[in-house]
Amino acid sequence: MEKKKIIEFKNITKDFDGQVVLKGIDLDIYENEFVTLLGPSGCGKTTLLRILGGFIEPSGGQVIFDGQDIAKLPPYKRELNTVFQKYALFPHMNVYDNIAFGLKIKKMSKDVIDQKVMKMLKLIGLEGYEKKNVTLMSGGQQQRVAIARALVNEPSVLLLDEPLGALDLKLRKEMQYELKRIQQEVGITFIFVTHDQEEALTMSDKIVIMKDGEIQQVGSPEDIYNEPVNRYVASFIGESNILPAVMLEDKKVRFDDITFDCVDVGYKENENVDVIIRPEDIDIVPVEQGKMTGTVESVLFKGVHYEVMVETVPGTHVTVNMHVRKHNEVTSEDGHEKISANDFYLDIEDMKDIDDKEIIARADAQAWNPQSDEYLSIKVETNLKEELGEYSVTFSTGKTSITRKIWVIDQRVIKNKKANEAISAFNFFKTVDEIKESMALDTDLKLWANAQAWKLNDENQAVDLSVDYDFDEENIKEGVYKVTFWTTGRVFKIHTTDYVEEGKEVGLTFFPEDIHVMEKMGF
Amino acid sequence: MKKFSKLAYPYIIWALLMLLLPMLLIGFYSIIRPGNDIVPFTMTLEYYKKFFTDKDFLLVLYRSIVIAVKTTIICLLIGYPVAYFISRCKEKIQNILILCITLPTWINMLVRTYAWIGILSKGGLVSTILAFFGFEDVELLYTETAVLIGMVYNFLPFMILQINTSLSKMDKSLLEASSDLGADKKQTFIRVVFPLSLPGVVSGITLVFLPAVSSFFIPKLLGGGEFFLIGNVIENQFITVGEWNFGSAIAIIMAFLMMFLMMLVRKLENRTAQKED
Amino acid sequence: MKKEKRIFGKIMMALVTIFFYLPIIFMIVFSFNDSKSLTHFTGFSLRWYQTMLKSHDMMESLYVTIAIALLATIIATIVGTITAIGLSSSKKILRKLVTQINDFPLMNPDIVTAIGLMLLFITFKVEKGFVTMLLAHIAFCIPYVILSVTPKIRSLDPNLADAAMDLGATPTQALVKVIIPQIMPGIISGALIAFTMSFDDFIISYFTTGKGVKNLSIMVYTMSKRVKPSINAISTLVVVLITGALLILNLWPMYREKHPKKPGNNKKTAIVSVIVVCVIACLVFFKDSTTEKPYAGQTLHIYNWGEYTGENIISDFEEKTGAKVVMDNFDSNEQMYIKVANNESYDLLVPSDYMIERLIQEDLLMELDKERVQDALDLCVDDTVNLSYDPGNKYSVPYFWGSVGIVYDKTKVSEAELEQQGWNIFLNEKYKGDIYLYDSERDSFMMALKALGYSMNTTDETEIQEAYNWLVQCVQTMEPEIVTDEIIDNMAQARKSIGLIYSGDAAYIMSENENMGYYEPKQGTNIWCDGMVIPKNAKNVDLAYEYINFATEYDGAYDNSSYVGYSSSNEEVLYNLAQGDYEGINAYLPRSGYAKDEHFKYNETTKKIMSDLWSRVKIVASNS
Repeated sequence: MEKKKIIEFKNITKDFDGQVVLKGIDLDIYENEFVTLLGPSGCGKTTLLRILGGFIEPSGGQVIFDGQDIAKLPPYKRELNTVFQKYALFPHMNVYDNIAFGLKIKKMSKDVIDQKVMKMLKLIGLEGYEKKNVTLMSGGQQQRVAIARALVNEPSVLLLDEPLGALDLKLRKEMQYELKRIQQEVGITFIFVTHDQEEALTMSDKIVIMKDGEIQQVGSPEDIYNEPVNRYVASFIGESNILPAVMLEDKKVRFDDITFDCVDVGYKENENVDVIIRPEDIDIVPVEQGKMTGTVESVLFKGVHYEVMVETVPGTHVTVNMHVRKHNEVTSEDGHEKISANDFYLDIEDMKDIDDKEIIARADAQAWNPQSDEYLSIKVETNLKEELGEYSVTFSTGKTSITRKIWVIDQRVIKNKKANEAISAFNFFKTVDEIKESMALDTDLKLWANAQAWKLNDENQAVDLSVDYDFDEENIKEGVYKVTFWTTGRVFKIHTTDYVEEGKEVGLTFFPEDIHVMEKMGF
Repeated sequence: MKKFSKLAYPYIIWALLMLLLPMLLIGFYSIIRPGNDIVPFTMTLEYYKKFFTDKDFLLVLYRSIVIAVKTTIICLLIGYPVAYFISRCKEKIQNILILCITLPTWINMLVRTYAWIGILSKGGLVSTILAFFGFEDVELLYTETAVLIGMVYNFLPFMILQINTSLSKMDKSLLEASSDLGADKKQTFIRVVFPLSLPGVVSGITLVFLPAVSSFFIPKLLGGGEFFLIGNVIENQFITVGEWNFGSAIAIIMAFLMMFLMMLVRKLENRTAQKED
Repeated sequence: MKKEKRIFGKIMMALVTIFFYLPIIFMIVFSFNDSKSLTHFTGFSLRWYQTMLKSHDMMESLYVTIAIALLATIIATIVGTITAIGLSSSKKILRKLVTQINDFPLMNPDIVTAIGLMLLFITFKVEKGFVTMLLAHIAFCIPYVILSVTPKIRSLDPNLADAAMDLGATPTQALVKVIIPQIMPGIISGALIAFTMSFDDFIISYFTTGKGVKNLSIMVYTMSKRVKPSINAISTLVVVLITGALLILNLWPMYREKHPKKPGNNKKTAIVSVIVVCVIACLVFFKDSTTEKPYAGQTLHIYNWGEYTGENIISDFEEKTGAKVVMDNFDSNEQMYIKVANNESYDLLVPSDYMIERLIQEDLLMELDKERVQDALDLCVDDTVNLSYDPGNKYSVPYFWGSVGIVYDKTKVSEAELEQQGWNIFLNEKYKGDIYLYDSERDSFMMALKALGYSMNTTDETEIQEAYNWLVQCVQTMEPEIVTDEIIDNMAQARKSIGLIYSGDAAYIMSENENMGYYEPKQGTNIWCDGMVIPKNAKNVDLAYEYINFATEYDGAYDNSSYVGYSSSNEEVLYNLAQGDYEGINAYLPRSGYAKDEHFKYNETTKKIMSDLWSRVKIVASNS
């Protein structure tokens, strides 16, 4: 292209007191580009911008501006201007004086200043506001003044540090168009820092995605949206279906036990990869035409389209017994103390963490004075051992005690390799009253059964659980009830304009080029 | 929070009694002439007339204001750079320096002023140092210079602290913005930092000027018996002469003058803040 | 260029730090000085600390300062906080009103607030003393507390208290458990400001105190006229106390940070511990040892001249009687008169002759019981008893007596000159800038009138006007320094050549510096006598009699006279000292029986004229 490089970052590093913020950034920026630095807070994007602005010196590397290294140049000698996060308008000056500040510094004649400021006011649509007190203006107006104040100096590059962060949603949308318009009108390079991917996608010519002081991907919004280089970029840039897959060979990828054609080449055989399929690239078709099939889980109307969730791989479930008893409390002889507790099951693996406190919590043991409702402290005595079996435990206060059973068992874990999930839960004992008094029964059931689900490949990643039961909690009686805990399996998010019924079996289809294969992120 | 509004009532009574009533009493005493048992007092404006028609009283007032203005200017000239220096240090050092400045103010003012007597008197530290530079036999004690030193010494911390507060709470991005727009350090200071620190400067001026005008122990301790400022005149009227009515009148005159001067300073600040280009 | 600026800043900072700490260091160093000098360090000694510890006045003032500061801080903080909370939910008009009123002490010069409170107490006949001072301190501290708490309250979520009450807290609980902890930083900084303000205050205390209750500032102010290195000692003690407290306050959080044992409000504990330390310190200093003595537990309030009592007499008297002596000092008879006339209660006063006359005229004195003072009167020298101001000594027992004269530097002024010019030497421009006048209308007018050949008790207004012109000429042409007791040390160090002085002070100066002489002009002078009297509103008359006798008997009188230098009224002491300690010092034995010498007579009209004219003289002096 004929476009001229205006800024080159060469291996820029920066650390604050030994804490590394930038790990060697290389980046070229061309004339008349709208470049966005995108990333979560703490990714180093603002630091990079401030290095360019001259407010901080890089620890290493070069900043080439128009062929000249400016890394050590103070800000006032650089031909670029900044729009600050909270605008940094001078509160002791009015709109005119704020905008004219840079020109007055350059000792321009009054006429010239007048002319230029007026032109700027027109550009930002604030004619007639020149005598206004900046501190009394709205966020959007302040924003425009800040932009005008920077642009009036005719910089070749304008830096914008999250300038829309302080605005509300509507104003923000307006300002996005406004900024783009101004950029096209003045025809200079804008470098824009944001953590909002939508902002980045709508405004930029070029997006630079950063993470932990490194650039992940540089490209046009379309490139980045359609061909994200990894899971991180993909998830950052928009809603997506991202799933682990194996690259069998060039143009053949396998996930969820099905092999698909794709267009990606250059991976090793059987390489583990991530696959992304955009919700709008999936079509819902009759079952027999689908590359995959599944059940419609939910349909949400989103204005222009429906968001349909289709479960292609069923989830995992486990069923446990809930033993319901009438009551579980013991009253002392003088009637001044009451104590209650439940039997419970215990995983042998949890034995190492068990102490009196934990036993009290698991048994839900409580002691109180029925007259004053004051809680009393409880002592625990047990013959519990780190072996499978049945044990007894006695909870006592000064005047009374209660004995309960503990079953130490090997935890039942149900694994679902296809969905990459595992689930476990215990049988448990409760009283009628406890169930009736529960304010959030679903949550309590999970808690009582100690129900958990997690990803097989990462035990720390919890999976949401749902609960099913068939008793009526208002009229429950003593007895044994079944409680089922389950996860949703593989669910695809699909954006479609056609309505589908919930619970319907459907087929899903997509083109090979809609499957974007990405490298697994290295950690 | 409406329930708590009653909590303020006791204090309102107290404030009326202990803060407002005394002021009214001064005003009252200043316009009465004590009488006899039958007519306890008569209204008069003679005390005000006495003050304003007497060249000597007016001269004392004038000198009090002059010395207070001098004190204020010196405090500003010393205090601003120091406050600026402190505000540019790292936060930890800032805290230490601020502590350094505040620590002496915790020690009794009179005690600290008393200490200057020895330093300034003949043969004391200052005259010894001056003698070393060839100024023989300089005695500063009981001169205007001594009074000025005493006042600056006592009131400078207020100036430094006020200016420092306004400087250090200034948004750093304003400085960056100024630099970004092409202003070097000097220009940034003149056009941004100084105008924005004006509120601190003004409250610093208030905190120095007010006590300096009315101070009477500093002139008495360091200025000697013949150094009379308006505060000494008031003290004298109350403690030695026993003319409370006249003393009250002078106090009222001073209070109003102060109010007027402070308003003037505030106005000036607003004007400069707006006119600043 | 950047570096240059930092260097300038650093130098500035360093100079300012030196400026701030120099006097403090100076003070600490000289508190260990072996000699009385404030300019030369002659050797290390702890004598001034001993003097300090022995001095009732000093320790008492320290106690008063700390007690007032702590009480005022605690009360002001509680009231201020409660008020600020109350105001935050009050109507706007109310809020504005209180803010306006609170501005009075903040925006007015201290002296205005001070005289306002003084007038308040006097108008409503509240006896001035510890309580009035405390009330005044509370009054000016509360606005500071409110000022620092209010912004914190304003930044609170207005629903906080409602939320607490919604969750079952009573309004009081909501206040204590939710609101107060949130605004704690504001409360603490308010308390700190209040403490500093109160601890540091002089002006307001000075005008609102009474009955000899002094805080540190007042003590320093009234004592500062003579070199008193023990002031340095007590100041050092204050520095140590304050620095210690501040260090604890500032280091405690750091210490807690490093050793995070228990959660809790660091600053709160720190402040509590500081207060505890202070209280313990107070208790250690002022533990009362009450033993069975005739007047144990009683207090004698004496109102005397500054520097007018011996070194040991007070402690000896306390030892003997078991009573506590509170001594308040005045600079001039007039100052004393104003307090007494305003019904401040003392048990014993020591005014001068003419003032005794005035007090008798105004029926403010108690007639003495002859039987109880006859022994004392019998000991007195003839020059001091049965004088015109109190014939038959019905009201007073002589204390000191003397003349007024000229102290001069024998190396610079010849006696012949003095003989020739008399008082008019104060108009001799040869000594321009080299003279001291004494800040007393009575003595100054005496000098002028005598110089003009008039009687010092004249009632002729033209003569007084002439005398005024004489004085104005003096202050305009001679650049005198108008001093009070400072003259003593300054003349002892020969800072100037000539000064108007009381014979007793001259005696002290001559004993310190043999080059100094004392001259009583032939034009005549004032022979005066100060006596002990009991005011009508005295509370402890028995103890006052006890003291009158104690101070007139040989030991007491000897201690007073030998230490102060004034001529004793006790005949035996007078002659013993004249031949002993003060041998060859003519100032100790004043001229007796010279025809042109006079006693001062009280006359209300001339007194008023003179006092008005004298303050004019001072203003003229100050303006020229």
